[in-house]
Amino acid sequence: MALVELRGVSKSFSKGEETITPLDNISMDIEEGEFISLMGPSGTGKSTLLNLVSGIDRPDAGTITVDGTDVTKLSRTQLADWRAANLGYIFQTHNLIPVLTAYENIELPTLLLKLSSAQRRQRVELALEAVGLSDRANHYPRQLSGGQEQRVGIARAIVAHPKVVVADEPTGSLDAETSDQVQILLQRLNRELNITMLMVTHDSNVAGIATKQLILDRGKFLARAEGVVR
Amino acid sequence: MIGYVLKTMWRHRTRTLLTVSGAAVAMFVFCFVGSVQEGLHRLTTGSDADRSLIVFQENRFCPTTSRLPEDYAKKIREINGVRDVMPIQVWTNNCRASLDIVVFNGADPMQIQKSRPLRLVSGSWQQFQSQRDAAIVGRNVANRRGLKVGDQFSIGDISVRIAGLFSSTVPSEENLIYTSLAFLQFTRGLDAAGLVTQHEVLLTEDADPDRVASEIDSKLRAGAVATKTRRKGAFQASTLSDLVDLIGFAHWLGYACVGLVLSLVATTTVMSVQDRIKEYAVLQTIGVRPLTTMRLVLTESTLLCVVGGVAGTLLAMLALSLGGFAIGAEGATIAFRPTLGLATSGTIVSVFVGILAGVAPAIQASTVPIVSALRQP
Repeated sequence: MALVELRGVSKSFSKGEETITPLDNISMDIEEGEFISLMGPSGTGKSTLLNLVSGIDRPDAGTITVDGTDVTKLSRTQLADWRAANLGYIFQTHNLIPVLTAYENIELPTLLLKLSSAQRRQRVELALEAVGLSDRANHYPRQLSGGQEQRVGIARAIVAHPKVVVADEPTGSLDAETSDQVQILLQRLNRELNITMLMVTHDSNVAGIATKQLILDRGKFLARAEGVVR
Repeated sequence: MIGYVLKTMWRHRTRTLLTVSGAAVAMFVFCFVGSVQEGLHRLTTGSDADRSLIVFQENRFCPTTSRLPEDYAKKIREINGVRDVMPIQVWTNNCRASLDIVVFNGADPMQIQKSRPLRLVSGSWQQFQSQRDAAIVGRNVANRRGLKVGDQFSIGDISVRIAGLFSSTVPSEENLIYTSLAFLQFTRGLDAAGLVTQHEVLLTEDADPDRVASEIDSKLRAGAVATKTRRKGAFQASTLSDLVDLIGFAHWLGYACVGLVLSLVATTTVMSVQDRIKEYAVLQTIGVRPLTTMRLVLTESTLLCVVGGVAGTLLAMLALSLGGFAIGAEGATIAFRPTLGLATSGTIVSVFVGILAGVAPAIQASTVPIVSALRQP
């Protein structure tokens, strides 16, 4: 059984009198430890798929099962608990909490779990070390560069030891050099920590770091290129 | 998570400061209005308001116009239910409503010491009883006028030497100046030898105040001057009737202050939530429950309101305590005093308003559609 299973998932939006269907009866599996990249033109449902797997949006039809839990059947509160324990989300624009330091931003997800303060501290320090920002722990987001902010965002996504990490254009707002650093980091986290990842990107170079690449167009998967590892 | 709330408030410290100071000012006014109402309530319903009577000249209101024979006291003492009678000559510098009214009560010093709930904080009773022009001064008047023991105090044609300063468990007493009856009767301009403004009648425990009042008026009807006898509370309420109406209206000002705090804190919280709606969506994406999000917003609004409200309440208590404020008319005064009840109600109102002000923005933050909020720039 795959870690993430999507079966017959559809999602439509109304835009004025027009109905847009970014996802139309989609099915897919993500195995544990897999790193999947989703590509495709704008408005083809990549982010929608990511949001559905994250449980921050609901499908019109179909089921999404993550590690045996059908997330489409959970209430808003149950979904919050489920995300706290099972999901890490890497945003394109980092979305760090501006009033909290890097350390506190990373610590935030651990506050939602039943952990002692020592366990929390250990996890945050490990996450900071993993993204190479131990020396920036007490810096506020405004004191960090874009790349550093994104690395804090990545640390925040992995600190709770989630089953799945989703990344929405994680390098979309970074320059080429910083983008390379973040790609290497994501690849390392997948390989060394065996973190299952689902990443949306427009950039085929970035997509290349994934172990499986999927292309979405008009609500359907067009092609897949497996085992492409840079 | 409280750290997150505090840091958010600190980051937006200008907004926080403005909201807190607005709430503080409004609660300051709320407590002031409350203290005026409490003062009036104490005056008209206090323990001696029902257990003592005031005999005044019929159809007269200002103390300067009531002139009763001093020897009415003897006749009143004969009535069943009367424990004691204290003839009082009243002099005031202003018959109209004033915030700095000076009221002299002239009575027998021995009776004053025996029947009034006064405690000398400085000076001596002996000096007050032995010197003809000696006066003891209520703490509030002394504060307002900067008086101390040994000073000579003159106002109008009256000039007294201060023999003591007193405090009292009855706040309105602290706005009075007591002299001997004879001194005030023979003061130039009063021409009141053998006359007094009023008789204060102390009742026995089992006496019916209304029956005794009626008997006094009946008995004195045949005298030189007709009287009107009322319970002390009713007398003071009647004396201050213009102010009572005004104070009754002022309670709307108190409600308006509460409304102002509510509106101010609610506006700030709504703006704060709208500014940070993406932040709340991020928190919920991380796994913060909707109810926890709600609590974060409610904590913020309550903290804003409580910090401002408590500061305003404490400032009001301090001002009321140090200022010795009072308003008076026709010889009766209402003292504005700080009380524990007022401080408690100020704090409770702050907490309640803080929670109420946060309800709508808290619901907004906790039910935000996460995906569309995350798309915001």
